[in-house]
Amino acid sequence: MNRLNRLPTLRVNPSEKLTFNYIGSSCQGVKGDTVATALYANDVRIFGRSLKYHRPRGLYSMDGECSNCCVEIDGIPNVRAETTLLRNGMNIRPQNVRKSPDTDIMGFMDKMDWAMPAGFYYRCMHKPAKLWPFFLKQIRKAAGLGRISPDFHMKGRYDEIYPNADVCVIGGGAAGMTAALTAAGQGLRVILLESRPWLGGFFDYRTAEYTPSQEGISRTLCERARELSEQLENAPNVRTFVHTAMIGAYSNNLITAFQTGNKSDAFDERYMEIRAKSVVVATGCIERPLLFDNNDRPGVMQVGCAHRLAQTYGLLPGENAVFSVGHDLGLEAVLDLYDMGVSVACVADVREDGQDPHLLEKLTERKIPFMRGWTAHTAHGSKTLEKVTLSTLSGAQHREFDCDTLVASAGLTPVTGPLTLAQAKLAYDNHTGFFLPEKLPEKMYAAGRMLGLQSPLSIETSGKLAGLSAAADCGTSLEHEIKQTREELRNLAGPVRGSKFVTAPVRGQKSFICFDEDTTVKNIDQAIQAGFDAPELIKRFTAAGTGPGQGGIPGHNLPLLVSQWHTDSGLAVQPTTVRPPLVPTYLATYAGAKHDMCKRTPAYESQKKAGGVMQRAGVWKRARRFSDDIRCQEEVENVRSNVGILDASTLGKFRIFGPDALRALERVYVGDMSKVSEAKIRYSAMCNEDGCLLDDGVVVRRGENDYYFTTSTGRAGQTVEWIRYHARYENWDFSIVNLTDAFGVINLAGPNARKVLEKLTDADVSNAAFPFAGYREFAIRDTIPVRVMRLGFVGELSFELHVPSSFMQTLWELIEDAGKPLGIRNFGLEAQNLLRMEKGHVIIGSESEQRTTLHDLGLGFLWYRDKPQAKTVGAVALRQTEHQEGRLKLIGFRMEDASSRSPKDGSVIVDSTIRGYVCSARHSFALNEPIGMALAEPQLADTDTRLEIFEDSGDDRLYAKVVPMPFYDPEGEKLRI
Amino acid sequence: MFRKSERLWGKAPLMSDYDAVIIGGGLHGLATAYYLARNHGMKNIAVIEKRHIGFGGAGRNTAIVRANQRTKENLSLYKEGLELWPKLTAELDYNLMFYNCGNLNLAHSEAALSAMRMQVASARFFGIESHIADPKECKELVPALNISEDITYPIFGGMYHPPGGIVRHDAVVWGLAKGAAKLGVHIHQGTEVLGINVEKGKITSVETDQGTISTPRVLNAAGGYSASLSYKMLGIHLPVSVLTIQAMVTQPLKPLLDHVVSSGAYHCYANQTLKGEIATGAHMDPWPNYTTQTTAHYIKHQAEALSEFLPCLRGVRFMRIWGGLADMTPDMAPIMDGNDPIEGYYTDCGWGYFGFKSAAVTGKYMAQFMADGECPDMLRPFTLRRFEQHRLMGEMAGTVVYSPWN
Amino acid sequence: MALTITCPICGRRNGYEFRFGGEDKGARPDEEGLSPEDWCDYTHNNTCIAGIQKEWWYHRDGCGSWFTIHRNTITNLEAEATA
Repeated sequence: MNRLNRLPTLRVNPSEKLTFNYIGSSCQGVKGDTVATALYANDVRIFGRSLKYHRPRGLYSMDGECSNCCVEIDGIPNVRAETTLLRNGMNIRPQNVRKSPDTDIMGFMDKMDWAMPAGFYYRCMHKPAKLWPFFLKQIRKAAGLGRISPDFHMKGRYDEIYPNADVCVIGGGAAGMTAALTAAGQGLRVILLESRPWLGGFFDYRTAEYTPSQEGISRTLCERARELSEQLENAPNVRTFVHTAMIGAYSNNLITAFQTGNKSDAFDERYMEIRAKSVVVATGCIERPLLFDNNDRPGVMQVGCAHRLAQTYGLLPGENAVFSVGHDLGLEAVLDLYDMGVSVACVADVREDGQDPHLLEKLTERKIPFMRGWTAHTAHGSKTLEKVTLSTLSGAQHREFDCDTLVASAGLTPVTGPLTLAQAKLAYDNHTGFFLPEKLPEKMYAAGRMLGLQSPLSIETSGKLAGLSAAADCGTSLEHEIKQTREELRNLAGPVRGSKFVTAPVRGQKSFICFDEDTTVKNIDQAIQAGFDAPELIKRFTAAGTGPGQGGIPGHNLPLLVSQWHTDSGLAVQPTTVRPPLVPTYLATYAGAKHDMCKRTPAYESQKKAGGVMQRAGVWKRARRFSDDIRCQEEVENVRSNVGILDASTLGKFRIFGPDALRALERVYVGDMSKVSEAKIRYSAMCNEDGCLLDDGVVVRRGENDYYFTTSTGRAGQTVEWIRYHARYENWDFSIVNLTDAFGVINLAGPNARKVLEKLTDADVSNAAFPFAGYREFAIRDTIPVRVMRLGFVGELSFELHVPSSFMQTLWELIEDAGKPLGIRNFGLEAQNLLRMEKGHVIIGSESEQRTTLHDLGLGFLWYRDKPQAKTVGAVALRQTEHQEGRLKLIGFRMEDASSRSPKDGSVIVDSTIRGYVCSARHSFALNEPIGMALAEPQLADTDTRLEIFEDSGDDRLYAKVVPMPFYDPEGEKLRI
Repeated sequence: MFRKSERLWGKAPLMSDYDAVIIGGGLHGLATAYYLARNHGMKNIAVIEKRHIGFGGAGRNTAIVRANQRTKENLSLYKEGLELWPKLTAELDYNLMFYNCGNLNLAHSEAALSAMRMQVASARFFGIESHIADPKECKELVPALNISEDITYPIFGGMYHPPGGIVRHDAVVWGLAKGAAKLGVHIHQGTEVLGINVEKGKITSVETDQGTISTPRVLNAAGGYSASLSYKMLGIHLPVSVLTIQAMVTQPLKPLLDHVVSSGAYHCYANQTLKGEIATGAHMDPWPNYTTQTTAHYIKHQAEALSEFLPCLRGVRFMRIWGGLADMTPDMAPIMDGNDPIEGYYTDCGWGYFGFKSAAVTGKYMAQFMADGECPDMLRPFTLRRFEQHRLMGEMAGTVVYSPWN
Repeated sequence: MALTITCPICGRRNGYEFRFGGEDKGARPDEEGLSPEDWCDYTHNNTCIAGIQKEWWYHRDGCGSWFTIHRNTITNLEAEATA
C-alpha cells in the first residue's frame, strides 16, 4: 500500500523500512509504524477472531481498547497491535483462529448465537450431570485468546524507578502540556506522562486551524502541539515520559505507570511509581462506539482510527467510505479523508442539530451528502465490509450504500479511569453526555477535553488553571492568578453538547456492546429480564467489559443502555467499576529488577568450603548438613564422642540497659528476672497473651541495669518492637540494642570441647572455674574478646562463644586449627536437630503450635507466678490454663519394635479418630533406636501408653509407646563435665 | 430449550414480620436462608442486603475449594462442603461450574513438607484424597513450574489434593438466591439494617431503612461488617480484625495451568479460571481497613513471586486487580455461635479468606442451629467462647501472620 | 505512597515502613481479679470501627518507636482526632 508521505502530521518515516514476519510470510513496514498500521499497510483486514462466535475482527480503534487486534508476537500472547511499535524481525501471529483469520474453521460459531443467550452455561450445561466434564473440556478449549508455552522465557530488560515530583500531569495533550508548563513556570518539579510515543493528543494529527491569538499568527493544531512540546523540552524542571502508560492511582497521590523503551534505552519496559504532591489528570477522550448490527465487521472503524491512520501513518483506510458520526471531529475527518482521495458516499450524523456550520459548509462545497438524525443500521459483508444500511433513528427510512469502510462513532467519552482509581466521584452530565468528576480527591485536578471542552483555547486555559491549582497545593501562593484564569476560562467556549445516546433501530442480536466477550445489546436485555438490576451485576452476568480491553468499548455504553431499558429502577446512571492496571501490564514489567535478598553469617564461606549444604532459613542462609548423608550420622556421632562446631550466629542477641531494664525484662519473660546474675546465665521463655510459647533464650547481667540476652533466630527481628510494645504505656527509662548482626556465635560442643578451647586462651575454663550454666568474658589469643556461655542444647559439654562479627572468621579458623588434631568437624542444623531431640528440647514451631502453652510443653516450671505487679505477658493465661483439661501435650515416644524405622514427621496418632501428631522423629544413633516427640491428647500422655501411628502414605500402621524425656543422658551428667 | 429468561429471584415487599431475618446477602446468608426453607420448612425469611447480593466477599473471592484442612474439627466440615457443589448444582438446577481440577500446594523447605505430611495424613485418615508429590511430580502436574534450585524458595515438593478445584462464585450467589426465592425467601436488596432490638435477653425486632421487622431470630452474616455491626448494634465485641484482601487476573489464555497452585513461602496462589484468566492473590496489608482498595505494593509483589515459580507468566499481562474484606480471627477459624448471650441472635463470621469453600455447608448447619435453637455438633468447636478459654483452634500451625506480632 | 503514616520522630513516611499495633485499648489491666471475659476483651477483641480510630503503630524501618495516630479505616488516610 502506498504511503502519503508529505503530510505535516506524519509520524512515520516511509523511507526507513522494517521487515517482519506474519503467518510465515515476510512483510515490510516503516519506522514509526505500530504493528497494527504495518499489518494494515500489508492489506491485513481481519486481525483475528472473536472469543465466542469466532467473528472476524479488524482494526477498530488506534488505542487498543478491545481485543480485536490482539496478536501473538515472538511467543507473547495478547499483544495490542495498535499500541506496540513495530520492530525489525518481529514474528507476528493471529490469535483464536484455526488455520488463518480469513478462513477460520470455527467461523460457524457465529450462527450459534441463538443457543448462547446471556449466562447460558449456568442454565443448561449441567444436565445431565455426567455430561458436565465433557462441557468443561469444551469451555476450557474455547476460552482464552492467546496461547503461551509453559517453557516460555521472557526476554528483555525490565527496570523500575521511583521518582518524586511536585506535580504529576497525566496526559500530554494540549491541556496536559499547558498544565505542565504552568506548574514548571512556578519553579516546581513536574513529571508529565503520555501514553503515545509523542506529545500532542488530539492536536497532533489535525491540520484544522488553531485560533487564538493575540499574536494573530495562523497555525494549525498540529503546529501548535509541536510548539508546546518544544517549550516543554526546554523547560528545565519538567521530566517528560512518552510511551508511558499510566496504570494506577492510589491514595496520597501515588501514581504508577510503565514506560516502553526504545532502541537507545537501557530497558524494554520500566515500571514507575511516582510520588507527587499534586496531580493533574488531562487524559482527554476516547470514542463512544455506535451500536448497530454487525458494528464489529472489519472495515468498520472509529473516527480517530480512520483519521489518524491517514494523518499520522499516511495510510488511507479504504477507497469508498460511509460515515456515521455524532461529533464534529467526525465531520473534520470526513473532509480530511475526502481531500486525501477517499470517496465518501454519505455522512450520517445522529445529531439533529448543533454541528459546526463551517464544517457543514465545507461538506456542501465538496457535494458530500449529509443526513441529520441518521445512523448506521446494519453493516453487510460476509467477512469484511461490503455495504451498509443507514436509517433514521426511528427506523422509518432506510438507505443502502456500497462501501469498504464505515467510519462510525457515536461521539466522545472521557478517559476517567485515573480519576476513578483515585476515588473521585463521577456523575452523569446530561449536557455533555459525559461522566464528569463531581468530587475530586484532595490535590487532584482534571483539565481539557475530558471535561467536555472542544475549543483549543478553552482546553489550554483549563490546563493552565489545573497547573496553577496544582502548583498552589505545593505551597506557592497563586490565589490571584487562579482567580484570573478561572475568569478567563469562563469567558471562553464552555463544554459542548454531546450527542444523545442512541442505538440503531435493530433487535440487537448482532449489535456488539463488548467485542472482547462477544456481548450483544440483546444479551443485556436478557440479563435485565433475568432480574439483574445494577450495571455491575449485568457486567458480571454477561461478562461485558471484563476482557483484555479493560472495558474501553462498553465502559460508557453499558450504564447508559441499562438505564434506558431499566427506567423503573429509578437508579442514577452509574459508571461501572474501573480497576487497575488501566492498561494490561506484563508481570515482567511489574516485577522489575527483582533481587533475591538473604543474609549470610560471617562464617558463611568457611562452612561452604567445608561442604556445607546451604539452605534458606528465614532471612538467613545456613548450613543444613556437611555430607550427602541426610541422617548426618558422622556429624552427630562426632559431637557425642569428640567435638564439633556449629555456626549459631543467627541467634538473636540484644543488650538492654537503663534504670527500668529489669522491669521491661520482667514484663516479657515469664521467669523471675530479678535473679539474673553476672556469672550465670538464666534460661527463660517469652509467651504471647495466650500463654503460648513465643521465644526462649538466656539472659545474663553484665553490669548494673545492663543485660545481654539471646532469642531464637526467628524472633530476632521482632524482639525490640515486642519489648517496646509491652512497655508502650509505661514511662520506663531503658534502651535496647539489637546486636544480632554485630556478634557471631560459635557453638563448640562435645566431650573434647574444653581441650580445643584451652589451646586458645589463658582463661581458666576448667569445670570448677567455669561450670555448667556459667558466663565468662575473656580474650582468645589475648586479642579477640569473647562472651562465653556454657549451654546444653545438644546435650554435651559445650561453650557458646559470642564474638564481634569482624573477628568471627578468624576465631572460626583458630578453632578449626586447634581442633584439627582431635578431628574437630562442622555440624549443621540437621545434626543439631537430632542432638537436641535426644535431649527432649523443643524447637518453637516444630514441637509447638500457635496454640501450645508452656504447660502443654511441660515447661510450666519456667513461669514465676509471684510477680503479678510485673503484669507479665501471658501470665494471666498461664494461670487460667494451668489445670485446663483437653489440651494437646508434648510427649516423647519410642517404637514398640526398636528395630523398626521411625515414623515420618507429621504422621498422625489415631484411634477411631485423630488424637495427635508426630512433631519430629529420628533414628537415634546414641540409643540405636528411633525416638520421637509428639503433641497428643492428654489421655495418651502417660508413660507406656500405646500410640497408633498413621502416615501420609496411608500404608501400614506403626506402633510406639510413650516414654519419659530426655531420651539421652536424663540426669544431664554430660553437660557438667 | 431457550425460552425467555425468567427472573432468577423476585422482588417482594418488606413485611413487618418474619420468622428469621438474615443480615447480609452474601453466600453464608443466602445459603442459610435456602436451607432454613428447604430443610426446616421455615417460610417467612428475609435476607437483608445493603447493596446487591454478592456485592461483598461473595463476588470478590477467587472461589478455590478444597477439603484438606489441618484439624479434625475442620476436616469433616470442609469435606462435606466440597461434596456439596455437584449436589447443589443439581438441586438448584443452576450450574455452579464446579471445576474439579485439584490443588497443588508447594513446599519450599523440609519443615513445610513435614507440616504438609501432617495435613495429608489427617486428610487421608478421614478418607479425603491427598498425597505428597515430589518436585518431579509437581512439574508433571504443572509443567510451567520452575523446579530449579536457583530461585528464592526452591520447591521441595508439594501436597496434591485431586478432589479440590474452583467454582464460579457468582453462579453460587445467583443459584442460591434463585433456590431460596423459589422456596419463598424474600431477598431485599438495597436495604440497610440500622438496629437490632433486644428485650429481656431476647431478639424482638430489626430496624431497617425500609421499616421495622418483628422477628425472633436474627443471623449476623454481614461478612466484613459483622464485627462492626455486632458492636454498634448489640455492644458485643468480637475478636476480629477486618482487612482488605486482594486478588487479580491476567488476560485470558488458552489452557496453561491444569490445577490450582499455591505457595505459602511466596504468599501466592494461581489458577486458571474457566474464562482462561490466571487468577492469583493471597495478600492482605496487615492493618484493619474497610477500603477494599488495592495497592501498588501488592500487584508488584505478586508479579515478583510468580516470576520465580511460574516464570512463563512473565510474558503475560495483569488485567485487573480488586480487593474485598476479610474478617480475620486470632486463630484463622470462624465464629459460629448463637443464643449466647442473646436468645435468638446468631453469628456466622470471622471467616477470613475461607468463607467461600465452606459457605454452602455452613448454611446448612447454621440453618439447623437456627431452626432447633441447639448448636449442631459440627459447629460446636467454633464457639466464640473459645477465645476467652484460651482454646484457639489449630488451623494455622504457626502464629498468624496478620496480627501485630507475626 | 498509598498509605502514609506520620511518625512523631521521622515525619510522614510510606506506610510499609511501619507495623500496625492494634486499636488503642488503654494500659494493661491488673492481673488481680481479671476475669476471662475481661482478659479476652483486652487481648483479642476489637471494636472494628468503620471510621476514625485511635491506634498504635511502630516505625519498624525507621526510628523504632511506638506511637498512636488517628486513622480513618474507610479511607486509609490519617485523620484528626474526633471528639
